[in-house]
This record gives sequence, C-alpha cells and structure tokens, in this order.
Amino acid sequence: MSWLLAAKGRTDALAADMAQAPLEWQAWIDALAISLMSGTGVRAVTYCLILLLIGGSVEWLFWTYAYAPLRALQATLARSAREALALGLRRLLLLCSGVLLFTGASIAAAAVLSWPEGVQEAVVAVCLWLMVLRLAWAVAEVVLAPGRSARRLVPVRASHVPWLMATTLLVALLGGAARFLPDLVEQIGQAPHSAGVLRLALATLTTLLLLVAAFGFMGRPPRLAAPHVRLPAFPRSFPAAALVLLGYSVWLLGSPALSGVTMVLAVVLALQMVLRDAVFYFWSSHWDMGAGLPGAAATDAAASQLLPHIVLSASRFGVVAIGLGACAMALDTPLAELATGQGPLVRFGFSLLGVAALGLLTNLVWIAIRSTIDRRLARIGPLDPHGEPNPDARLLTLLPLLRVSAAMVLVVLLVLSSLWAIGIEITPLLAGAGVLGLALGFGAQALVRDVIAGIFFLAEDAFRVGEYIESGTTTKGTVERITLRTVALRHHNGPLHFVPYGSLGTVRNNSRDWVIEKFNLPLPIDVDSETVRKLIKKVGEAMLQDEEVGPMLREPLKGKLSRIDPGVKIFRCKFETVPGKQFDVRAQAIKRLEAALRAAGIGFADGRQTVYLQRGGEPLLIEGARPA
Amino acid sequence: MPSKTLLRNLRLLSGLVLMTFVVGHMSNLALGLHSVAAMGAARWLLLDPWRNPVGGGLLALCAVVHTVLGLYAISARRSWTMSRTDVVQLVLGLLTPPMLITHVVATSIASDFDRNFQFAYGRMLAVYWSFAPKYAFQQLFVVMIVWIHGALGLYSWLVLLPAWRRIGGVVLPVLFAVPILALLGFAESGREVLQRLESDPAWKQLIIDHLRPISALLEQTESAQNRVVLGYAAVVGLVIAVMLARMLHARSQPVRVDYDGGESALGRRGLSVLEIGQGAHVAHAHVCAGRGRCGTCRVQVLQGAESLSLRNDLEEATLARVHAPPGARLGCQALVLGPGVLVTRLLPAHADASAAREPADWVAEGDSGQLEPAP
Repeated sequence: MSWLLAAKGRTDALAADMAQAPLEWQAWIDALAISLMSGTGVRAVTYCLILLLIGGSVEWLFWTYAYAPLRALQATLARSAREALALGLRRLLLLCSGVLLFTGASIAAAAVLSWPEGVQEAVVAVCLWLMVLRLAWAVAEVVLAPGRSARRLVPVRASHVPWLMATTLLVALLGGAARFLPDLVEQIGQAPHSAGVLRLALATLTTLLLLVAAFGFMGRPPRLAAPHVRLPAFPRSFPAAALVLLGYSVWLLGSPALSGVTMVLAVVLALQMVLRDAVFYFWSSHWDMGAGLPGAAATDAAASQLLPHIVLSASRFGVVAIGLGACAMALDTPLAELATGQGPLVRFGFSLLGVAALGLLTNLVWIAIRSTIDRRLARIGPLDPHGEPNPDARLLTLLPLLRVSAAMVLVVLLVLSSLWAIGIEITPLLAGAGVLGLALGFGAQALVRDVIAGIFFLAEDAFRVGEYIESGTTTKGTVERITLRTVALRHHNGPLHFVPYGSLGTVRNNSRDWVIEKFNLPLPIDVDSETVRKLIKKVGEAMLQDEEVGPMLREPLKGKLSRIDPGVKIFRCKFETVPGKQFDVRAQAIKRLEAALRAAGIGFADGRQTVYLQRGGEPLLIEGARPA
Repeated sequence: MPSKTLLRNLRLLSGLVLMTFVVGHMSNLALGLHSVAAMGAARWLLLDPWRNPVGGGLLALCAVVHTVLGLYAISARRSWTMSRTDVVQLVLGLLTPPMLITHVVATSIASDFDRNFQFAYGRMLAVYWSFAPKYAFQQLFVVMIVWIHGALGLYSWLVLLPAWRRIGGVVLPVLFAVPILALLGFAESGREVLQRLESDPAWKQLIIDHLRPISALLEQTESAQNRVVLGYAAVVGLVIAVMLARMLHARSQPVRVDYDGGESALGRRGLSVLEIGQGAHVAHAHVCAGRGRCGTCRVQVLQGAESLSLRNDLEEATLARVHAPPGARLGCQALVLGPGVLVTRLLPAHADASAAREPADWVAEGDSGQLEPAP
C-alpha cells in the first residue's frame, strides 16, 4: 500500500502548490520587475540583444553560402521516394547547421559576457529551447513538407499535414517549456510551488494535445474507395489515448521518472506500429509525385524485396535503442554508470538491447532464408502430384521442409541466446534437454530411425512428389506428400498409404528416366518373317510421327521373330517410353498393328490345328470339306 | 503612376541617408567601450552634423520620404508571397516610427529645455541606466529594429552590385560588428556611469534636478505622442486595407502560368508571373524577392506574350543590364492580365546574387531566345 500513500502525498503536494503558487508568483514577478527596472535589467537586456545579434550574424553568414545549395536542393524534383529521402536529408543537414551555428555562437558569446546573477542560466536555457523549437520545425518541414507533396517522406494524407505540423511544433514548444522553464523558476526565482504548478499545467496541456492528436490522426480510416472490401479494424486511437492517459496518471500520482518511461514506451510502441509502412513507403512502386498513400499492393511489392526488410529491422532496432536511451535519461541514470555498464537497471537495459540485437539478427537471417525460398517456390509454381513428373519436384519437396527446419532452428537459437543475454543460466537447461533427449531417444527409437532414414532418402533423391514408387513390401502409389517422418503414397485404386521412412525398405521408382515395354505377337507359322518385321517397323515409324503418341516415345516400336512354336511364329515387340506412359502406348501399338496386319491379309495365329488324313499317299476327301 | 525607377532610387537614397545617421550614432555608442569621455569627444563628428537645421531637416525629410514610400510599397503589394527577409523588413519597418517617436520627442524636449544637458552623454546614460530604464529598453529595441531593417536593405542592394566582390568582405563584417559594438559600448559606458553615480552624489543631484522638469514635460506630451502613434496606426491600417482590397479585387479572375518543365500554377489576374509561381511552390529564382533589381527571375515567354503587361522602365533597365535575350521578361514585373502564358525560366532556381553581379557567367547556351517549347 506504500504506493497509494506515495500517490496521496503527491496529490497533496500538488494541491499545496496550487494554493501557494499565486502569492509566490506575485512576489517573484514583483521582484523581477524591480530588478528589471534598474541598471541590472538594462544590462541583462542589452546582453541578450548582443547574443541575438551575434547568433543572427553567424547564421546569416552561413546562409550567404548555404542558401544557393538549399535552393538547388529545393528545386530538384525527386523521381522516387528514396531520392526524396536523400534530398530531404541534405536539406535537413543545411537547416540544422544553421540552427546549431546560431545556438553555438549565442551560448559561446554568453559565456564571455559578465551577466547579472541568474540571468546566464536563463539565457542558455532559452537558447536551447529555441534550438529545440527550430530543430523540430526543420525536421517537421523536411519530413512532412507541407504544401509540397512531392517531397513528403512519410505516407500521410495531405489533409493531415498542416495539423501534424502544428501538433509537432506545439509538442516541441510544450516539451521544451516543460524541460527548461520549471527548473529556471525553481532555481532562479526560488519559487518551487510556482514551478510545480507550471509543470502541472504543461503536462496537462501536452496530454490534452496528445489526446486530440490520437483521436485526430489515428481515428477510423478515411472513407476511400470500396468500403465494403476493407475489413473493419479496431481503431488505434483508443490504445494510443489510453497510453497517453496512463502516462499522465502515472505522472500525476507517482514519480515523474516512471511517467517518462511510460511515455517513452508509448512512443516506441507507436513508432513500431507505423514503422513498417514508413519504411516500405520508400520502396513502394506507386510513388509518383507524392500521389498520396501507396496502396496495399505497393507495400506488398516492397515486401518481396530483401533490402526494405533489412532497413525495417535496423530501424526497429534503432527505435528500441533510442527508447532505452530515453528511458535511461528519464530515470536520471548517471552517465558514468552507463559508460561502465554498472547498476542493475543499466545492465538490464544493455541486456534488453542485446536481445533486441539478437532479434534483429535472427529476423534478418529468417527474412533472407524465407524470401529466397519463397521466391524460388514462386518461380517453380504449384505442382500437381498426379500430373507430369517435374524436374523441380525435388526442390518443391525440400524447400518447404527447409523453411520449417530453419524457422525451428532459428527460434530455438534465439530463445536460448536471449536467455543467455538476459543472464539466465542456460547450461542446466541444455543439460536437462540432453537428458530428456536421451530418454526420449530410447523411447522413440523408431521415430528417430524414421527421421534419419527420411533424411537419407531425401538426400539421395530416391523419390519426389508425383513419382510412382513401390516399396519393398506391397505398398505402391504416387508420392503425394513428404513430411519429416512419413511419405504419403496414393495407390492407383485410391487408398492413401502413410509409410514411415524406416519401413520403406527397398524403393522401386517407376517414374525415372524411361520404361521399356515388351509384348508378344503370335502369328501363323506360314507368314514371312521379313515382311512382318518390316510391317512392324513401319507401324513404329507411323507412331513416332503421330502427334499424340510420338512425344511419349523414346525409342520406336520394333519387332523380330523370337520363337517358333508348333504352328505359331512368335514375334517379340518392344518400345521405350517416358515413365508412366507405357500402357497407353502399348494399347495404341496393338491397335495399329492389328489394323496393319489385317490390311496385309495376315491373320493372328489361331489355336486351331489342321489335321490331314491320308490313305495310301492319296488325300482322303470328305464330302463337303474344303480342299487344303 | 510615377516611374518605378525614380521611386526605387528615392527610397534607396533616403534609406542611405538614414543609415549614415544610424551608423554615426552607433559608432558613437561603440566608443563607450573606451570611456564616456570618448563618446563625448567624438560627438562633433558623428552626431553634431545632424543637429544643425540643414542636417536635421535633411534627416527629417528622409525619414518622412522613406516612411511614405515604404507605406506606398506595402499598399502596392499584390500578394502575400514574399521571402522571409521581406517579412522581417516589412514588420520592422512598420514598427520603427512608433518606437522612435518617444526617443525623438524626449531628446528634442530635453535639448530645447537645456541645450547643455542633452549633449552630455554621461547624463543621458545615467537617465537610461538608473532613473528611467523604460526608455533604455525602448532605445535598445529601436536600435535593433532600425539596424536589422537597414542592414537587410543595404545588404540586398549591395550584394547585387558588381563591386560586391571587392567590398563584400568588408561590408558584411561591418554590418555585423556595428550593432554588436554599439551595444557593448552602451553596456560598458553604463557600468562606468553607474559607478560615477555611486561615487559622485553631487552629480547625481544635478541630474535629478534637471530631470524633474523634463519628466513633467514628457508626461504632458504623452497624450500628444499617443495621438501621433494612433494616427500612424490608422495610416498603416488604411495602407493594409488598400493592399487587401487590391488582393481581393481580382480574386475571382483566375489566370494560369505554365512552365516548360510541365509544372503549372494558378493565380489571380494582375499578379506577376513570379508571384503566381511562388504561390504554387514552383522553383523560380528570385534573389531580390521581386524588386526587379537582380534579373534572376527572367523568363522567355513561349506562348501568350500578349497576356502580359507592358514592360516598365525598371524592367527595361534590368534586362539590358543582365544581357537578356530579346523577348525575355522579368518574372517579377510582368503581370499576367490575360488568360495564361507558357514561360521557360532562363536561370536555374538556385541562381544566387552572383547571377546579378556577373550576368555573363550565367548566360547558358540555351539562353539565346531560341528555346524550344517543351512537348
């Protein structure tokens, strides 16, 4: 309950500030007016004007050289978003140099002059505040490019740009004020209560501004074309507003440091949410003169490239790193602790940074592997397991397997290294996994055997998806699917066999290279063998010319006399086809042979036997019988 | 309609006279870095010439002429498109007369009251630093305003002259150094005066005695001063009203300027080519910000030349100076009166003041008036 008490104390302090601030403020203003209306005040104002003149002179001198390059940069038309980015960065460099020169010259001059007491701090603070404001202006102008859509560096709607610009500047104004003003009031004016009220007012104003911005910019998407196609999404404005309110409440009730951390987290989250669009914007193909928001199709086009992903990951990492740095600043971590890496929080921060770096690295490797595999797969295209066997079938078999295995390995590596980076001892975990693995290994011997056998089957290219195989036992069928442990075989009658690799045994692959088919042609004993051989050869050549059958044949149909049985001459015919086509071709061949033989007046050998009856050298004639 | 060249030269001349006075005044202040006595010693050279009727009359005349011409220039504005320095110039210029009036009234009253008092620098400084810091603040801001206004004007005139190559290296540091030194001198002499006030009660009493009637007089004239300021504000309001009326008058008559690169800009009838281009963020060089001095905004008219206003004397002179090809126009002087024109910019958008100083270096081979219209 201690935090409740702390919160109570905090609100009480705020109430006391409110009560006492007006009097204190009045007293301070009176004192200020008195000291201003004297030689001291005149001196302070004179010196301030001198600073302004010195800073202004230096910056003017800078712009006498830099203005023409700036105009040239402004006049250059970018052909792509990346070009616009390069131009914008160069313009930003020029603009920021001017601001930094002004600030540096003013502050350096302030160090030389002998100020009335307390004024120097105020002047330096005002200079820095001015710098923050002008830098924010420069960045907003370069990034949002109000009125010049061709230079815009972020995918935002044109109607939002002036409001975003105003919000950015107001936030910079209020943030700078909150950073510098209350401290000044407290230290120079000796008015802690006024400072408290000032802080409260600035924090409240900023919160209100951010709430308005959250609902204004992150509300429902505009009613563009085809609202019926767009799926309704949860408006992001609610979580954003909730985060802002949370930060404000934490600040109001608890410690300012914690509130700072909350706000940093909110900003980091918000940035991570928009980062993908912001990065892919630079690779979108639809970028023409800033026509507006690139569509989903354009972002998809960017998604297939490797470079945007690398940039995206690096930016995500950068945002996290900057966020951690901002957290360290919000928590007022001493610089020495940061440098030497001491202190539990600092060490934790560095560990988180390490984890983020590991995540970034893993993500990069994963994206590289995945995009390579996906591109390859997309080039091969989908494969019908019952269609023609395809030379790419092996890739199609192996690549998805490789993808899953890579993902698993990467995840395991990432988890283990992250644990190690955070400082959790992973040796026992590994040892435990080892022991467990041993136990499982004994239990799952068959499983291991299957997996290892599978690896070798795949490595030796024993079969691919779409091939007709017979295993050592009676299972046979077309390979439909290959997993880590089993192969799915579709029998030609329909059933699907799931065969573990371990029990696959000898594999007879019927779909490799070629098939030789042979069949017998029994003809009567009295046909001329040479005529028949030529006739078969002619049929073979005709088949080779045929549009339908020809492509299937590797060697044409040939036949020769192979055996002479009593009353029958058996001709052995053979041909060579691509795998799986032998049955079709054989049917064709027999059909054509039958027709050709009939045309040549040759009948097939029949089973009838001819019996000649003889008496004394004279054929025995039977009434009504046909003479031989 | 008076000649543009005449008006421009008149404004420049009066400004130069005023600037001379200001430089002298500020150099005198800068001597405070040495001592108050040095300030007094240099007075005869730096300030006294303006104290006699001739010098004072010239100064007053120039101030009136410069103010009136400035107000006329504002009332003659056709659009809001102006460079950042122009905005600064305009605002500071408008602020100067009301801020200066107290200074002028106070010093003239004091000098009428007691000629010896006014010119004793030490006593004046004592008033500023100790008795009436309000006037000191006024003075400081007037110095800043007048100087920045003057320096901007002087710079934008000088930088276009061929002589700038030689004198620029001197003039620019002087422009920066004079006000800084003057303010430093003011601060140093103030310190000296405050010390003397501490150590010399008789002197302090003398000043108090002299100050009493002067401050009484000043209070009496305060209402008169306020009336003058109010009258000035009314005039400024009138001028701005005239400007707004001019802008609103032609609002409903849109005209169009097409550029050779395919860009195009929409604007009101009566605006110049440059103003219409600026309004649409077309990159178009304009070093002198539309005063017709530099010639960097010159364009070749490819179509619709009859829609443009006739050349004025200023344009003729500038075009001749920069060796413009025949048929070229100054974008800032050629007003679009017809439906539209097609122009090509003769200088790149990043052309700087050197294009006005050494125009021969910037004449490209395509600058001969033979440009083909873009498809």
